[in-house]
Amino acid sequence: MEKKYGVYICKGCGIGESVDMQKLIAQAAKAAKLPADKIKTHDILCSPEGIALISADMKDGGVNAMTIAACSPRVKYEEFNFPGCVVSRINLRELLSWNQTPNTADTQNLAEDYVRMGAIRAQKSEVPEPNILPDLSKTILVIGGGITGLTAALESANAGYQVVLVEKEAELGGWGAKLYKQTPREYPYDRLEEPAVIAKIKEVQGNGNIKVYTSTTVEKTEGQPGLYDVTLRKNGGSETIIKAGAIVLAAGWKPYDATRLTHLGYGLPNVVTSVEFEEIAKKGKITRPSDGKEAKKVAFIQCAGSRDPEHLPYCSSFCCATSLKQAKYVREKNQDAMVFIYYKDIRTPGQTELFYKNMQNDAGVLLTKADVTGISEAGGGNLFVEAENTFLGEKIKVEADLVVLAIGVVPATAAPQQYLDKLAVEGKKGDEAKKTFLESTAKPEMLLNLVYKQGPEIPTLEGAYGFADSNFICFQYETRRTGIYAAGCIRQPMNMADAADDAAGAALKAIQCLEHVSQGIAVHPRAWDASFPDPLMTRCTSCKRCTEECPFGAIEEDAKGTPFFKINRCRRCGTCMGSCPERIVSFKDYHVDMIGSMIKSLDVPDEGIRIICLVCENDAYPALDTAGFNHIQMHPGIRFIPVRCLGSTNLVWVADAFSRGIDGLLLLGCKFGENYQCHFVKGSELADYRFSKVQETLDKLQLEADRCNLMQVAITDYDKLPDMINEFIKKVEAFGPNPFKGM
Amino acid sequence: MSERKGVLVIGGGISGLTAALELAETGCDVFIAEKNPYLGGRVAQLNKYFPKLCPPTCGLEMNFRRIKENGRVKFFTQAGVEKISGQEGNYDVTLKVNPRYVNDRCTGCNACAEACPAERPNDFNFGMDKTKAAYLPFDQAFPFKYVIDDKHCKANCGKACLEACKYGAIDLGMKAETVTLNVGSIVVATGWNLYDSTRMDNLGFGKVKNVITNMMMERLASSSGPTKGKIVRPSDGKAVSNVAFVQCAGSRDENHLAYCSYICCMASLKQVTYIREQYPESKAKIFYIDIRTPGRYEQFYWKVRDDANVSFLKGKVARITEDEATGDVIVEAEDILSGRKIKESFDMVVLAAGMESSLKESRLPEMSYTEDGFILPSKLKKGITAVGTAKSPVDVQRSVQDATGAALKGIQSLVRR
Amino acid sequence: MAEQIVKPDLKFINDVIAAGGESLKKCFQCATCSVVCNVTPDDRPFPRKEMVHAQWGLKDRLFANPDIWLCHQCSDCTAYCPRGAKPGEVLGAVRKLSLQHYSTPGFLAKMVGDPKFLVLLLAVPAVIFLLIITYMGNLNMASIPRGEEGGIVYAKFIPVPFIDAVFIAAATFAAIVFVTGVLKYWKDMSQGVSLSGSLGASIIAVVTDILSHKRFRKCDVTKGRSTSHMLVFFSFVGLAITTTIAVVYIYGLKWESPYPLSDPMKILGNASAAALLLGLALVIINRLKNVDKAGIGSYYDWLFIGVVTSVVVTGVLSELLRLGDIAQMAYPIYFIHLVTVFFLFAYAPFSKMAHMVYRATAMVFAKQSGRE
Repeated sequence: MEKKYGVYICKGCGIGESVDMQKLIAQAAKAAKLPADKIKTHDILCSPEGIALISADMKDGGVNAMTIAACSPRVKYEEFNFPGCVVSRINLRELLSWNQTPNTADTQNLAEDYVRMGAIRAQKSEVPEPNILPDLSKTILVIGGGITGLTAALESANAGYQVVLVEKEAELGGWGAKLYKQTPREYPYDRLEEPAVIAKIKEVQGNGNIKVYTSTTVEKTEGQPGLYDVTLRKNGGSETIIKAGAIVLAAGWKPYDATRLTHLGYGLPNVVTSVEFEEIAKKGKITRPSDGKEAKKVAFIQCAGSRDPEHLPYCSSFCCATSLKQAKYVREKNQDAMVFIYYKDIRTPGQTELFYKNMQNDAGVLLTKADVTGISEAGGGNLFVEAENTFLGEKIKVEADLVVLAIGVVPATAAPQQYLDKLAVEGKKGDEAKKTFLESTAKPEMLLNLVYKQGPEIPTLEGAYGFADSNFICFQYETRRTGIYAAGCIRQPMNMADAADDAAGAALKAIQCLEHVSQGIAVHPRAWDASFPDPLMTRCTSCKRCTEECPFGAIEEDAKGTPFFKINRCRRCGTCMGSCPERIVSFKDYHVDMIGSMIKSLDVPDEGIRIICLVCENDAYPALDTAGFNHIQMHPGIRFIPVRCLGSTNLVWVADAFSRGIDGLLLLGCKFGENYQCHFVKGSELADYRFSKVQETLDKLQLEADRCNLMQVAITDYDKLPDMINEFIKKVEAFGPNPFKGM
Repeated sequence: MSERKGVLVIGGGISGLTAALELAETGCDVFIAEKNPYLGGRVAQLNKYFPKLCPPTCGLEMNFRRIKENGRVKFFTQAGVEKISGQEGNYDVTLKVNPRYVNDRCTGCNACAEACPAERPNDFNFGMDKTKAAYLPFDQAFPFKYVIDDKHCKANCGKACLEACKYGAIDLGMKAETVTLNVGSIVVATGWNLYDSTRMDNLGFGKVKNVITNMMMERLASSSGPTKGKIVRPSDGKAVSNVAFVQCAGSRDENHLAYCSYICCMASLKQVTYIREQYPESKAKIFYIDIRTPGRYEQFYWKVRDDANVSFLKGKVARITEDEATGDVIVEAEDILSGRKIKESFDMVVLAAGMESSLKESRLPEMSYTEDGFILPSKLKKGITAVGTAKSPVDVQRSVQDATGAALKGIQSLVRR
Repeated sequence: MAEQIVKPDLKFINDVIAAGGESLKKCFQCATCSVVCNVTPDDRPFPRKEMVHAQWGLKDRLFANPDIWLCHQCSDCTAYCPRGAKPGEVLGAVRKLSLQHYSTPGFLAKMVGDPKFLVLLLAVPAVIFLLIITYMGNLNMASIPRGEEGGIVYAKFIPVPFIDAVFIAAATFAAIVFVTGVLKYWKDMSQGVSLSGSLGASIIAVVTDILSHKRFRKCDVTKGRSTSHMLVFFSFVGLAITTTIAVVYIYGLKWESPYPLSDPMKILGNASAAALLLGLALVIINRLKNVDKAGIGSYYDWLFIGVVTSVVVTGVLSELLRLGDIAQMAYPIYFIHLVTVFFLFAYAPFSKMAHMVYRATAMVFAKQSGRE
């Protein structure tokens, strides 16, 4: 595309009153290489009249690359939307007229720097064209045939997509099919329901869009969204390779290993888990294993394994409702039977409370808060339940003839994760340790067996106990494996109603992924973005930083160790661009040279401090805008440059900045660590890591490492930002001016 | 999919926004009808999300960006649904869109608010401060556009705002409009209101000055709140050093809300961290019946519980009175596990007030409800889906999951036609 | 603390439910009740713990406890209970079962508590008095002798010695039942409790409390109850004094009834009757007014109110009909009056009437043991 430039400067919202417009126009003309009379100004550029000015230039002069100096790009987005054009917006309102002293030399200089940078961005930017890979599959692979998997398969099929459903057991249905009855799911929560999976199994089996593989596991998953080749293996037998475009992982859960609960009596003849209790109830009368006698005093122990630092440090969510349901089995089958429920807290959140209320009102269901301290034999197969801190006394003992342990939930992702974690630890110790580990440890059932350099399974997070949780509150389905969406109990312990909802959500995201891939655009969060990383491979040194750093595992290596992109896995954060020491990764509208040139375009005077601040456009930039809206004064020596994500900041910019005489470089990005807020999971953390090594670069320049700093800010920190920045400036000032100034 | 009909999402809170965006990003045209003059709903008022303690505006900002970039979402603010007719694939919906009195020329420059002589209680901050009658709902509001509250605008002020606005954005003659939409399916994401705490006559709200609600606490702790984030007590603006949290204030109580409101335990635990962070010497005490922190939330509970300055007492607070001399708040409960009735004095008390369906007072046509005004999902007509707190009290995580799934149901409705 | 063996008793749970505590199981132990209760001590307050004991069927813990009687059923707990568990009514049911437990014969207690047996229970005094009337040959009302001034004289319908014989027997029975029951109750309560206070002082303190209605005045929801109960209570005291004077008149001074309306005893009696009527009216009005918050109350409650009301209404009517000389109605009403009076006194240990004895006992125990 041949670009025709235009520069438009708004005089509204105090901009006109803050700067010498003639001087600014002159600078803009110089930077944009346009005659001064082609630099247009308007009193209210965003008004229909202002827009008409731009439109006329587009129509008459063929302008298709405009630099618009007005307010923040976050506002007036509809007005300044020119499809097919390069639009470079410069924020002279929130970052200037609202937070600077008008008509000072500093303010003028600031405006001119911004206009220069904006013009350069327009020059260095192209309109992205999507990269659509051929032979895309629109089939969704669902792994797991329990309530979650069945629902995900059905919901996808009902939206018109082909589905392959893989279940490792011989029968579909998972735990849900093993239930006697199901907890009520809807108001008024007073009747037990038939297990919902039964009907779902039939529906799945009768749905022409769904192909079911039972007794089958996933042996290998290769490829990328739209282009997965998945090898399925029938129980030790035949192999099938299917093509899939996206994957819903609904591998479900396992009950916690009850043999580890001997302190709760497991192992005694009449102590069973809640899962085992379903089988008993399914057979008819509630009988006890030891002698087949009908149980008339059934004690339920809540949190068996759950909420216990020695076992599962989380709550398994549905056990309270399950025990109440099972209490109903006991009472419905025998009105003379009694149920004792020992709980830490009854957890029936939301409207499930109404089920608790209904069950509580049963004369034979007796509840107490308690810390169960032990289960002992009481003779004749009976058991004493001993407990402390109860409503009935500090220490009590009650005789029961059957004890049910409300067993906790362990996600199917936990075992592979533990295995891989240990493997990584041993691997670090050396090949010998790794070998010993591999030989001595049974490999758990893997779920995906991804052929990804970054590992065979969906990454779980630190402190998440093996749950494949995204850790995002707002964007629940974002995992670090693009195109693979976790659903159900591998994400969080959840009941069947919630799991079914969750399955629909994951199915939608899988569908969305297929559609985006087919249009060559990214998936969340940059779900509109048609740009993609396009490396200049001839200059690649195979240093592999990009393959290691990509938060989404989008970069693989060929046999020779040369990286290549699986582009459909890419989320366009630019971490690869930031990581590359050869600066060869570029997007059409965002690349190392663009930001570098912008930095180099700054006018650095001999006197006065100059700071460059690279700002995450997702959170830190809006915070700056809000500070501006609140007219919080900002130091005039700072130049804010938005970046896609701090992960995309390349160390060469440090050199660019300091060799230009800049006194300090500040990075504002999202919080990282366990409770990270980075939309790309690892972006700001990687930037932090990268910049911790900046010493090397600065040493070469004989500059203090602390001239460069990364600060974690939240979008709401706008009130704290000026102080944070001022503190940095003070520190930089203490170092004295950059000796490169004026060189 | 372009020739397909659009989907109407009623409610522009986190559930509605999520449903709308997931639909739009899957290729559907979407309309959002939001009753407030801004999008974001309840979560826009929150200081932080549990359990990550991250700001909700972070996610909202990304969602607003998605709206801007995607282009398929059209939203109406200050809009209510008047009528729904038709069936799956072909619903006619009549919206009433109330006048904003500010048009698209608004740049968000604040001149109208500066000029406006009239004030209104700030509902966004639960009446803890005031705004001008011409105002921006909050400083990160989307759309970033002022609004004039006609209930508080004094017509005789000489139209100061009109003169102040250099951009021709004020239009005091604006009238309510009726908009008719033809859509293929509808997502109901009407959200929730905070239960009116004055209705619990034993808990002192409205009478004892230093008793506030959990949502007021969110605003107090927020940098965009009435105190710019300083947590102080209402009676005298004093910093707090000893705060009580009263769980189930209205919830799990058939005199008020029979159900559990799902979020209040986590919300109070979160708010304890606000206080503990701001005042390192401060103490907090949580009075509860059951602590409900399902799933991995349990870890958050443990973290707060491990703080030596935070204590927990099992026993519901049933009486709150004022120490008139000091303004302190006297809380009475039974410490159940020790079997003693206690009376304890605090600087401030936070009621963990419950969640009431927005539909309890103003019902949408063509739906079935529980006694509490939540939608009964199984009785909905085909092509209509209810999400989030429109059907049951849930937290943001569950709302988002639910809304994402609802987007798929919306698409299925369009596919079936 | 030593480990306690808890033996849940489903039968007892069902008994409480059947005895008017049908809301029992709704309690989820939030302790709102203990907090809003103004009459409970702060240490081990009621009624929260009584609710869980009843839910688990722990009969012995409930009965051997002064707290179920320290409760005055103000119903503040019931009004504020978030679950509709109505602790006030549940404790009422527990008290009823407690009477069945302590008042022998137990079957009589069951009968008093069960509407099925109402007719049978009424039949006992009815038959006794009918036998007397038949014996006197007074079945034909027209043949009943008149007084010297030609007016109706009830003593000629049923002579005083007969009445006294019947009522002394009934009262003696009641007294014995009360004494044995209370002694047993006291013994049960005393298990493992040290009685540090002085019995005499405790009794005096309790009498003062009762006379002043101090505890009733602490009720919030049923505020009017202290007034109505006080009226009823002092009317009974008035009627008791009236009866004592009457005994003195008849057996001491050998004065025969009827007495002139100006007689001090008559004035006291009539004033007490009027006050009782007013008190009862207030009781009923208050109860109906508070149905929403406090519940309608049990058969047990209403039986007691009904009997007392019948006693006073028939008593007043008897006097009016006598003065109006309407014999055809006067004698039957007087007959009913005697039947109801019998009911009230003979069954007292089994009916709600017993509350005055057991509650007073519990209050004395509580004072003496330092519970309050």
